[in-house]
Formats: sequence, C-alpha cells, structure tokens
Amino acid sequence: MMGRWRYWRLKTKLLFLTLFTSALGITLVCASLIFVENQNYRKQLESELHVIAGILAEQSAAALVFEDNEQLSSIITSLKRIDTIRQACVYNQKGDVMTSLSGRPQGQCPSVGSSLEVGFVGDVYQLLMPVTLDNEVVGQLFLSSHLEVLRGHIRTFVSVASGIGAVILIALVFLALRLQRIVSEPILKLSETAERIAQDHDYSIRAPVSGTDELGRLGNTFNEMISTIQQQNRRILESRDSLERIVEARTSELSMANRELEAFSYSVSHDLRQPLRAVEGFGQALEEDCGDQLNEIGKDYLKRIRAASVRMAGLIDGLLVLSRVSRQSMENQTIDLSQMLEEIAEELQDISDEVPTEILIQPGMWVVGDSRMLRVAFQNLMANAWKYSAKEEKRIVEVLSRREGRWVAIEVRDNGVGFDMRYIDKLFVAFNRLHTPSEFGGTGIGLATVYRVVRRHHGDISATSQLGEGASFVVKLPVSGDQG
Amino acid sequence: MDGHSILVVEDNPDDQVLAVRALKSASENSPVIVKEDGQEALDFLFGNDARQPCKDLDSLGLVLLDVKLPKVSGLEVLKGIRSSPLTNWLPVVMVTSSDEPADLLNAYRLGANSFITKSINYREFTEQMKLLARYWLFVNKVPKAGAVRSF
Repeated sequence: MMGRWRYWRLKTKLLFLTLFTSALGITLVCASLIFVENQNYRKQLESELHVIAGILAEQSAAALVFEDNEQLSSIITSLKRIDTIRQACVYNQKGDVMTSLSGRPQGQCPSVGSSLEVGFVGDVYQLLMPVTLDNEVVGQLFLSSHLEVLRGHIRTFVSVASGIGAVILIALVFLALRLQRIVSEPILKLSETAERIAQDHDYSIRAPVSGTDELGRLGNTFNEMISTIQQQNRRILESRDSLERIVEARTSELSMANRELEAFSYSVSHDLRQPLRAVEGFGQALEEDCGDQLNEIGKDYLKRIRAASVRMAGLIDGLLVLSRVSRQSMENQTIDLSQMLEEIAEELQDISDEVPTEILIQPGMWVVGDSRMLRVAFQNLMANAWKYSAKEEKRIVEVLSRREGRWVAIEVRDNGVGFDMRYIDKLFVAFNRLHTPSEFGGTGIGLATVYRVVRRHHGDISATSQLGEGASFVVKLPVSGDQG
Repeated sequence: MDGHSILVVEDNPDDQVLAVRALKSASENSPVIVKEDGQEALDFLFGNDARQPCKDLDSLGLVLLDVKLPKVSGLEVLKGIRSSPLTNWLPVVMVTSSDEPADLLNAYRLGANSFITKSINYREFTEQMKLLARYWLFVNKVPKAGAVRSF
C-alpha cells in the first residue's frame, strides 16, 4: 500500500496524515494510561493483601503458639468473605500446615521452602508472611489471590478508553476532512488553472490567490510567470509579423532584382551584339571588297580585328549562357544521359577536323536534373575534351558513370594535353585560362558554367590531370531529385 | 537580271550598309534605296502629296521595313502603305531585331507579306538578305515596272 503513496490524491494524503497521527497519539495516551492504571491496581492489591495478611498473622500468633487449631480455623475462615482469596494456609515453625481454607477447590497448601514463589506468579498473587509473637517467628501465613478483579478493572478501563478513542477518531475524520481544505483547496485551484492554461493556451487566465502564506506566494509567483509568458508570446508574434514583412519585402526586392537581371541579360544579348555584328560584317566586307588593296601589315591587322570580334562574340554568348544558368528555375526530370551525350558527340563530329576520333559513351546512364542546364554543362565538357585532344594522333574521349552511395559520378576523360594540377584552384573560375590563346582558343567561361550547373543541382565537380596524358572531369550528382 | 528596286527602311547605319551590300550581291541590277526613318519612307512613297506618288514607285519590287523606327514606327508605315491603292500591292517584309510576339501578330494583321528576325550573327544576316532578294525579286512575281500606272 505504501508503495502507491505517490498515486494518492492530495486530499487522501492529508486525511491519512491527520488521522494517522491523531490515532497514534490517542493510542499512545490510552496505552500509557492503561499501563499506569494496571500498575496502580496491582500495588493496591498487593498492599491490601499485605494488610490482611498482617492482621491475620497478628491474630493467629497466639493460637499458633498454643497450637489452638480451632482458633486458627475460625480466623482463617473470616477470609471466606473475600472471594478473591483462593487459599490461605498457616504453618507452624516446622512448616506443617496447621489450618487452611477448606471448602475451596484450589487444593492443598504448598510446602514452605525455598521453592515457594511469592508475588505475581502466573494468574495469582501469593504472599508468605511470618507470624511473630514477641519478635519471635512462630509460624508462617500463606495467602494466594487470583487476579480476576484486577483484570476486570483493566478490561473495563480498556473498553472505555477505546470507546472514547474511537469516538474522538470519528470526530477527527470529519474535522480533518474540513480542515484539509485549507491547504488542498488553493493547491487544487492552482493546479486546475495550470491545466486549463496548458490546454487552452490561453495565457490571460490567472489563478485565484488568497492569503499571504507560501501557497499565496506560490499563486502570485505563478500568475507572474503566466504574465511573463503572455508578454513574451506577444513579443514573439510581433517579431514574427515584422519578420514576415521583411521577408516579403526582400522577396519582392529579389524578384525585382531578378527581373532587372533578366532585362540586363537581354540587353546584353541585344545591344552588345549589334555593334559586334557591324564589326564582324565590315571586317568581312573589308577583306572581300578591299583585301587586294591592303598590304601584308594591313591584312594582318584585319585578321586580328576579325579574330578579336569572333572571340568577343564567343564571350558574350558564354556569359549569356552562364547568366541564364544562374537565373533560370530548374525543371527536374529523369534524363537519358547516354542519349544526350550521343547527340552532343554527333554535333562535335560535324565539326570534322580530320583528326581520327573515338568517342566512347557508356550506355544506360540516367540522371535526374534540368535537361537544358545539363546539356549545356556536358556540351562544355565534351567540347573541352574534344578541343584539348585535337593535337593527338588519335583522339579518345570517354564518358563513364558509376554509382557511389547517394551519388552518381559521371567521368569525362580525354587523352589530350591535360593541365597542370598546380592551377586546379583556378580551373572553374570564370575567365581563367590555363592555356595561352596560341595553344588553344577559348573563352574561359565554359568550366565556370559547368560548375554553376553542377552546384545548382547540389552536386560536385572535380578534375584530375597529368600534363601530356589527358584530363578527367568527374561530375557528381545526387541520385534522387531533391534539389533546390 | 531583274531591274526592280528595293526600298530598305532601316535606322541603324551599319545595318544599312551591310544590308545594301548583301542585297546587291544577290541582285546586281536592282537599285537599293535606303530611308532612315518612318517619315522619310512615307514621304518617299507618297511624295509630299498623297495624290502625287513618286515616279519611282512602280519600279519597286520589295520593301524591307524595320519595325523599330524613329518618328513613325514600322507598323505605322505599313498601315500607310496598305491604305492607298497606289501602294497597297507592294510586297512588304517586316524586319525586327527583337522577338516581341506582339509585333509579329500585329504585322500580319496589318498586312505584312513576311516577317523576319535579323540574325545576330553577321554571316547569317548577310545570308538572310541575299535570300530575301533572291526570293522576292526572282522567285516571287511582281508587276512589271510601269505596269501599275496603267492599271
């Protein structure tokens, strides 16, 4: 039962405590009283018997000396009136029984000797009194009394005490029931209020508080706490509202910036290309119409002008692609990468440059991503592989893929000139070139674009190379389509 | 061989020169007249008096009209051309450098014969001009020079 103490309600606990202590107190008091009474009764009995014995001893002294048994008998017989006395015996000096209370069923007189016990023995009280005459012991007097009456007293006492105790206890139950409310009610009210607040999330509720004792202070502190929570909630809501407003403002700023960027890219495409067309066009026209009027220097200058304008066209186009890749929203789908690469390879083959070429594309490669962006990325990678292995006797470009946990790794390999690994950090940075224009042409934007595409797919790209042995670019894309 | 002339209405001076060069290389005998803005074009076509068209009018075999023109826009010029029986027979090819879908539809609605987007690449641009000259002057049939007046 005590193990479940924790699960009792407060009321029950308080009730139990009160009653337990009261009952204990009452019991102890009663027990003490009973004990004391018991002792008193015994002493009283003892002294009474001693008195009786004394009187009788005195009276029987002479009769004993003269061995007057009749006299002794009549003296002893007077004891008959006292019905607690069960045996009385008179002994002479030698210890012989001279007379005893006859007619009592209690049996013979015990022999006097050292084996005779006196005092409270079992359920009798025995005493042995010497009979003296002129200070000379002439015999002994034995008295034995049963303790019934004593017991009766004690029993009565116990009953009365128990009765009173029970009545008091019952009264206490009612009193305790009423009184425990003083303590439990405020606590229960507080706990109720707390439950209600927690359930309804209504922080405007306050607990009723009465008194200034610890419970009162608890109530007040609780209410203060709730007020604080209410205030903080309000502040959180306010800041959330203001944050939402900020986010809205930022979003509209961003969409405006995006639109401006789109407009900018469009005007780049348009307005930059127009004068470029003029340069390219007049360059050609000059060569065709006036070429023969130019000396070698003039022709050289013209060639350079035309080459520069071609490069500029390439740069503008590259930039436009790069900006589109950064700006555009992604439309993810499952893509047959092998097929896309075959198409790109065909486009490259069309630029026949009479270098024997082998392009090996692993079949059955699938990826998830934005098909326009990935096409741009792989066009760049393949074009690079194509370009930088153009000086080999036989050009070999390979594309393989393998699965690495959550990633698909796609490798584009060539057997071209490779690049110096020392400059690996600059590889994917826009406009950085690791070859001079006389070695290989190029804008320097291609790999930056590839990098941007890969990052937008939440993927990764790495490159390794050995000078003269070729280069290998590995694009890692997440297997599933959860990209931003 | 054809002697029909071409009217090019284009505001960009570089494009003017490049276009003329290309057209001429496709049809050497076709004179090319260049006007810089919409107002000049209309003045040329109608003279200063709408009832007195210029005498060169019926030797025209093709009008290359840029959409974006200062003073009077290309579409306004088109409207003007189509509004008079003296000019509404002219083959008009609208030329633009932008992709505005609105321009495209409006041009056809107003009666353009064709609509092209100037290529951003000069080589292709040159090819476009040559193609236009070849088609509209040689493949396409236009009234003989002098035929319009007598109709």
